[in-house]
Amino acid sequence: MSDIVVSVKNLHKSFKLPTERAWGLKQAIFNRLKGIKGYKEQKVLNGISFDVRKNEFIGIVGRNGSGKSTLLKTLAKIYFPEKGSININGTLVPFIELGVGFNPELSGRENIYLNGALLGFSNKEMDAMYDEIIDFAELRPFMDQKLKNYSSGMQVRLAFSIAIRAKGDILLLDEVLAVGDAAFQQKCADYFASIKGKQTVILVTHDMGNVTKYCTRAILIENGKIALDGDPEKIAKAYKKLWS
Amino acid sequence: MAIPNFLYKGNRVLLKELTKTDFKLRYQGSILGYLWALLRPLMMFAILYVVFGKLLRFGGDIPHYPVYLLAGTTLWAFFTECTNQGIQAIVTRGDLIRKICFPKYIVVVSATLTAVINLLINMVVVAIFALLDGIAPSWTWLLAPLVLFEFYCLALGISFLFGAINVKYRDITSIWDVLTQALFYAVPIIYPISMIIATSSIAAKIILLNPIAQVIQDFRYLVITPETITTWGYVGETNPALPFIPILLVIILLVWGSWYFRKKSKRFAEEI
Repeated sequence: MSDIVVSVKNLHKSFKLPTERAWGLKQAIFNRLKGIKGYKEQKVLNGISFDVRKNEFIGIVGRNGSGKSTLLKTLAKIYFPEKGSININGTLVPFIELGVGFNPELSGRENIYLNGALLGFSNKEMDAMYDEIIDFAELRPFMDQKLKNYSSGMQVRLAFSIAIRAKGDILLLDEVLAVGDAAFQQKCADYFASIKGKQTVILVTHDMGNVTKYCTRAILIENGKIALDGDPEKIAKAYKKLWS
Repeated sequence: MAIPNFLYKGNRVLLKELTKTDFKLRYQGSILGYLWALLRPLMMFAILYVVFGKLLRFGGDIPHYPVYLLAGTTLWAFFTECTNQGIQAIVTRGDLIRKICFPKYIVVVSATLTAVINLLINMVVVAIFALLDGIAPSWTWLLAPLVLFEFYCLALGISFLFGAINVKYRDITSIWDVLTQALFYAVPIIYPISMIIATSSIAAKIILLNPIAQVIQDFRYLVITPETITTWGYVGETNPALPFIPILLVIILLVWGSWYFRKKSKRFAEEI
């Protein structure tokens, strides 16, 4: 099918976790001499395959440590998989955390452009998005002030607005759906309701309310494998049954 | 991946933004601001000049010794700043690397570019001092950027190589600290190379095979006085092929450093 925008095939990823303080040259040489590996392999993703169609709003759920965030980071190309492949058709805008690269000493405007550059947008592209971003954040009067003088609510509003206004084909979000005060949270909720079915989104979340409200499809991950894939209502029920 | 990575527009934008930020924030909160970029090497020069020029009289027979010394300290300041920032770059930008995917080398290059900007500003100071000291501008000045470029390649190669190792083994920072201290005395910055030649010609030749020494001596030769003893002149006398060793070393370090960095960069996000 041509409307598949993300195709994940048989993804494997493991981490080398240091068993003791293997931090530093001395320990590394010591371990090598003694024949100790100094780390143990932790399998995090264990053969994950799925396809994402255009304009699907996918919720990825699972318990802590099940591999959701690793999957998201692998999709965002922050981690490299040992095995398997990821094919992405279009530009992917990842928000693993809000406000990455924000610098408190820079002004709001400078931070927007820096953040945009980090996401791979040129200044020209950012010029086109700039007004929308600050209007959504409702921070127009504060753009020339340093970020350190913003309240924390204002900072996340700015970061969030960049996230949702960045013109990418596929949006990756890790547990960031609503920020700020009640009014702004409502605005975020309305926004997500409005893009449901119109924009491709992959969201990692623990909130089943959000899954049933916004997602057109959900994936439950357990021990690095896909346990269930399909209707958000069903997945939400299955998720709740995991520990009851 | 068909077109070279650095030509890709998005990368250039990111490089520009990061360098701008670095440069803007470097002297944030200090009263003298950017002036420190000039003052630090100048103060370093003043100390060395008083101790080695005036008290110990190292400058003896070298014409324009103050400028000669200033050129050396300025180039050395660039080298230490460039490598220190470059080696630290990946670790200091760890927050970004863990959360966003972008070519990692941009972080290293942007960190070193701040040092390059400082060097260029300082070169103006060196030129002013040279003119004040009665050195006539010569067409050889035009060749100086070539030597500076070689120097930057060396610093960049070291930054890539040690920066990549530093992600896993933070000991590198301390090792490099000590190593630069040793290197400072292993190249003819404060002492004239003629002092070494007087005791051991072999030692002088070995010193001149160090790319740092080659660069500093070449720069002095081109800008200050053709009486400067260079790798080309002194080592080339023994064997005309030998002076290419420093350049070869620079190329090897840069190629090896970037190759190693590229190989390791896939795992930076996990290991940092």
